[in-house]
Amino acid sequence: MKKPILGAFQRPSNGKHMLGSLQSVHVPMRTFAQQDDVDYVIVGVGAAGGVLLQRLARAGFNVVGLEAGPFWDTEHDWVSDEAGSHELYWEDPRVTGGTDPLALGANNCGKGVGGGSVHWAAFTPRLHPSDFQIHTRDGVGVDWPIRYDDILPYYEQLELEMPVAGPAYYPWGHPHGYAYGPHPMGGVGNALIRGCSALNIPVSIGGPVAILSGSHGDRPHCIYRGFCIQGCKVGAKASTLITHVPDALKQGAEIRDHCMASRIELGKERRVTGVHYFDREGRPHFQKSKAVIVCGYAIETPRLLLNSACPGFENGLANSSGTVGRYLMAQAGNVVLGRFDQPVRMYKAPPAHALTEEFYETDPRNDFARGFAIQTVGPLPIAFGKQMLASKKAWGWGLRREMMDYNHWAAFGLLGEILPWPENRVTLADEKDRFGLPVAYVCFNLHDNDKKLIKFAKEKTMEVMAAAGATEVVQEARYAHLVGAARMGSDPSTSVV
Amino acid sequence: MKKHSEIDSSRLPRDPATGEPLTPMCTPGYYPVFSTLSQSPFWDDATRQVVTKRLEPARAVEFFSAEEFEFWTAVFDHLIPQTDRTADRQIPLVGPLDHRLHINQTVGYRFETMPQDRDAYRLGREALNEEARQQYGNDFLSLPYRQQDLVLKAIHDGKPKAAKEIWSRMSVHRFWQLMMGDAIDAYYAHPWAWDEIGFGGPAYPRAYTRLERGEPEPWEVEEKRYEWLSPEATISHEVHSASDLHTESDQHKVVEEA
Repeated sequence: MKKPILGAFQRPSNGKHMLGSLQSVHVPMRTFAQQDDVDYVIVGVGAAGGVLLQRLARAGFNVVGLEAGPFWDTEHDWVSDEAGSHELYWEDPRVTGGTDPLALGANNCGKGVGGGSVHWAAFTPRLHPSDFQIHTRDGVGVDWPIRYDDILPYYEQLELEMPVAGPAYYPWGHPHGYAYGPHPMGGVGNALIRGCSALNIPVSIGGPVAILSGSHGDRPHCIYRGFCIQGCKVGAKASTLITHVPDALKQGAEIRDHCMASRIELGKERRVTGVHYFDREGRPHFQKSKAVIVCGYAIETPRLLLNSACPGFENGLANSSGTVGRYLMAQAGNVVLGRFDQPVRMYKAPPAHALTEEFYETDPRNDFARGFAIQTVGPLPIAFGKQMLASKKAWGWGLRREMMDYNHWAAFGLLGEILPWPENRVTLADEKDRFGLPVAYVCFNLHDNDKKLIKFAKEKTMEVMAAAGATEVVQEARYAHLVGAARMGSDPSTSVV
Repeated sequence: MKKHSEIDSSRLPRDPATGEPLTPMCTPGYYPVFSTLSQSPFWDDATRQVVTKRLEPARAVEFFSAEEFEFWTAVFDHLIPQTDRTADRQIPLVGPLDHRLHINQTVGYRFETMPQDRDAYRLGREALNEEARQQYGNDFLSLPYRQQDLVLKAIHDGKPKAAKEIWSRMSVHRFWQLMMGDAIDAYYAHPWAWDEIGFGGPAYPRAYTRLERGEPEPWEVEEKRYEWLSPEATISHEVHSASDLHTESDQHKVVEEA
């Protein structure tokens, strides 16, 4: 094989990891001993844990991040390839059920430093002010214990830190603009603009996405190769691995990768004394700590709290309300596919590059509460094949024929709100993982409002695709993004934090 | 692997003008002479290694028995048929599945209506053979191609007539998805399949620079369509829109009740 003409980038040595084509980091900078009583252990160095690690280290605390997956060297570990990227996803066993079981793994769960932020598509719309008061406004769900204004300064700050590229004026929710310029359009974005414009629907063009439209420090701009959800080898798409973790290490934080937390330990005064974990060889360890912060996302966070049950806390930690694991939410993520006479080549450009939130708010003309967004998605061949399997029942020669038309299709994803329900929950299964820990059982059922919303959203998205000029429009029903299962509230009897 | 001369012409796609079988090609599809692999010098090392590994000779079968391997090879010849490809350009499907089951790699979750993947393939073979015997009086492998297609169509439709006990322990639809998912994972991971569908493939660090109007990069090619009919012996050419089924579980139920 010939030597690459471009891109003979550096290889790791002496703990140096490449994080994209230009950025590198030495890992770890500092190590704590297990008997050191550190200030914080963070379980899960993902989207939340990665930022928290950096903030706590900057504030001068001794902090250790435990991460079940690897500390990536992106140049060596990541590939521009769908099938070759499976290690980015949580592949340890789980059981999923209920009347409407959720797909997990690659659909919504990451593993490794950066967590899910490594394989997200990087759309970064803010919540709307209405999201915080849905019970007051619509009589559904529950109000948040905080308001939009409480988190507004953090949005503004993180949008600069990631940073976010997008339009100068974003009209929905609390209107705002983005400091970094929008991205150029791909074929799918053009289809969304065309369809929305024909129906008088405003559309946000070229963002907001946490993908660099221009170089930023030691991170290069996007190269439009389309493999965002396979991990951005370029280093253009924000993940905490490249945005906050490098600074966290500079500030003296430690990350222990391939370390699976198994149980949080309580001492005599019912205070946390540390956390038990298994290292990459499966050896058990215990890290002393004054506090443990669980950042394991909607499945592993409740699983760890439930697996930490002990005398006095028979139902698990932080679970006096019985709420741990409950009110698990997903988002409806139906994919609408349109076939166009002219080629689209939807594998180019980031899957995420245009969206509309025109249908986000409750509309009294509808027979359901709450709403949805319509976004661009750009499935690569394997994902598209499975969409043809689901949306057209294609197999055999029918599948081969549909796939030969791959370049003629564009895809939109709807992102619909599903309300919180107590029986949508994470519990422990009888099945054990390789460490002997009970795995998560995830139960998920749709309710009437959810189904009405999905039907309306699907039909509206299909209408937009047809208005864009598609000669055939089909859809696959599925779900995206998990939320909840350790919910925040102002009443300890109905919330976890 | 069979040479195409040994393959019954009723299993070859046909020219709609003449009705004659089309000669198998190195690269079927509408992008003649396109080769993603020809661009591999422009890929990064890690990607090039992962992709070119798929061209290596098949590894020894590790999980399946010889009989199981033969059985699943016959089944996957229906799930993603390749008789339009020359023998030397057919994409291995069951080898990658065998390896996946051998190392017990999963997608990270199991539907509660499904057994573990390894057991699903054991049970699936039994169920397909029972279906073949009940409908046509013989094991799956002994049936002609079209009857094999019909046995699989019963699973596709969620309406098997036999193996009630097995299907009480395993969702028909989820099993269909599992098999099809494995077939799609293997076929469309292969650079020869990318050539067939005109997917440009890896583009790091070079980048894509022609983003709009379906324009090819200077190193990609324009589409050149041709008409073709599915082989006479198959019934797998039919497709059905599932657009009225708007929840994931409805996508299964309605088919099973249809």
